[in-house]
Amino acid sequence: MSWYLVLTFVSLAFCLAMCAYHAYRLIALGNPSDFSKPSGNVGAGIKYSYTGGMDPRKKESAFLHLPTYTAGILYHLGTFFSIVLFVCILFSLRLPSVVTMLLTAFLAVSSICGAGILIKRIVKNTLRKLSNPDDYISNLLVTSFQLITAVYLNFPTPVYYILVSALLLYLPAGKLKHVIYFFAARYHLGLFFGYRGVWPPKN
Amino acid sequence: MPILTDKRIQKGLSILENFQDSKLLTHLNSCVHCGLCAETCLYYLTFKDPRFIPAQKVDFISSIYKRYCTFIGRNVPFLVNARDLNEENLKEMVDLFFGACTMCGRCTLHCSIGVDIAYLVRTGRVMLAEMGLIPSSIQSTVDAAINTGNNMGITTEEFTDTIQWLEDDLKDDLNDPNASIPLNEKGKKILYTLNPREPKFFPLSISAMAKIFHVAGESWTLSTEMYDVTNYGFFTGSRGEASTIVQHLYDEMKNLGSQELILAECGHGSRAFRWEGPNYLHKNFDFTVKTSVELMADYLREGRIKVNKKSLKQRVTLHDPCNLVRNGGVIQEQRFILDQIADDFVEMTPHGIDNYCCGGGGGQLAMSEYNERRMKIGGKKAEQIRNTGAQIVVTPCHNCVDQLLQINSYYKLDVQIKTLAEVVADALIV
Repeated sequence: MSWYLVLTFVSLAFCLAMCAYHAYRLIALGNPSDFSKPSGNVGAGIKYSYTGGMDPRKKESAFLHLPTYTAGILYHLGTFFSIVLFVCILFSLRLPSVVTMLLTAFLAVSSICGAGILIKRIVKNTLRKLSNPDDYISNLLVTSFQLITAVYLNFPTPVYYILVSALLLYLPAGKLKHVIYFFAARYHLGLFFGYRGVWPPKN
Repeated sequence: MPILTDKRIQKGLSILENFQDSKLLTHLNSCVHCGLCAETCLYYLTFKDPRFIPAQKVDFISSIYKRYCTFIGRNVPFLVNARDLNEENLKEMVDLFFGACTMCGRCTLHCSIGVDIAYLVRTGRVMLAEMGLIPSSIQSTVDAAINTGNNMGITTEEFTDTIQWLEDDLKDDLNDPNASIPLNEKGKKILYTLNPREPKFFPLSISAMAKIFHVAGESWTLSTEMYDVTNYGFFTGSRGEASTIVQHLYDEMKNLGSQELILAECGHGSRAFRWEGPNYLHKNFDFTVKTSVELMADYLREGRIKVNKKSLKQRVTLHDPCNLVRNGGVIQEQRFILDQIADDFVEMTPHGIDNYCCGGGGGQLAMSEYNERRMKIGGKKAEQIRNTGAQIVVTPCHNCVDQLLQINSYYKLDVQIKTLAEVVADALIV
């Protein structure tokens, strides 16, 4: 086994262990205890939080910023596909050439979206003031991950493994750990609004 | 600002170090700094100051958490912009968390991730309270509530006198010598609370509710010992003082032996007692807690009171108090009531759980140092009201009434501001 494959497996193990630690910590801490009398349906509230509550027509963060929102969705889809492809590559699973071609094209687009979001962060004053090095590093790593995945599908290179390893090692430390916390945040929001009968909306 | 000792700082940090559950840990770690929450916030919309973007407020508290409670923040602070809890940062924290947020929660609803931003701001206020950094103006409101039993320091004698003349008026109004406003009567089904603004400035809203109770044939009483529905401890972040205020009302409920506590039209008051109260006291309440809005809707549904249908001919709009609606789930009841009474009802855009705060929430009305900001952020509500073309604005919250009255004058809206009870009482068939 080549050294970069070993590095990738070690990084993956580290990343999974750290993510498991974050998830375990959340589960172990549990839900807030609430002594008040509920007036809604908690289960329905949580379900709505992951579904209707994320409807872009209902969120100003989406419908007032459609280009950014669309870029963000494509970017996250690109990450998802890149992760799936990472598993395929790791286990030497071969994909039909048409799928490879389509995914290459999609990853090129999603990388451009990622780069666009990064440029926006650099150029826009309000966003720059909100940003820290972690924001830039996280974006750079993920955008590079998508780009190098697209390259690897056509021209396999060891650089891929090095970049993926860097991403895996960094993920649990910075804001990329929202891969875990995003789901926890939606859960808590659904719990809060569901308990009080705010979600799902009554009309 | 009081001298910052290590002990004082440690008290503030303890809020971020000892998680009771996964909620705080989750929200401290979830923001991705997308900044798309900016336009959901009245402060940012009004001033266009990047400091006021909700994500900046999240970053403020989470960066302190990172600095003291995470490996990266302790060892490579610049990477995540981890902040020290020093005098300069605390000054900014007081300004952002007390003076630039009403904790309305609108940003929370629209956050692309689902970060409970209002909850984090409230946690920030809890930290500041632990460090003795509550603005003195709002603290004096809490002190008055604890020392005198109501946040306006109204004496029992003054209160009793007011209730007495209101009762005389009620007898005349209803032409019924048996009409009454009972005080301190034990064993009545309902203990009704008030916002101290009512006996002090708006006594007719007490008459309105008394009239409704009378027509419904309700068994109810007021208390002279503890009638204050408000709880500014909820806003200051002082858990101990908020609990004390809740305990006073709880004790009075037990003392009078009522079965239902009806919370007057007060957004934060209803939230502080109904939703947060049991958690402040760490116990389930063995009596029903309901808002007067829900009670009036129940009376109408059950036929215990009847109103002249569509008798309010002027155009009416409704302002949704954030703590009652978005954070309390009382959304349809006020619409059900107004639908019966108002002939020409127009919703604001947006409304319901998506409403804009009037600008007076989060204790802003009690912090005179932020008056100018408060009036400016009220501009959004003024614009909403103006766009409806309404002549009457109804809102089931005395705090909102106060802010809306000031907005009315400041922005020359020329509208009437009414509580729901006033509208119902005017339309009552006696």
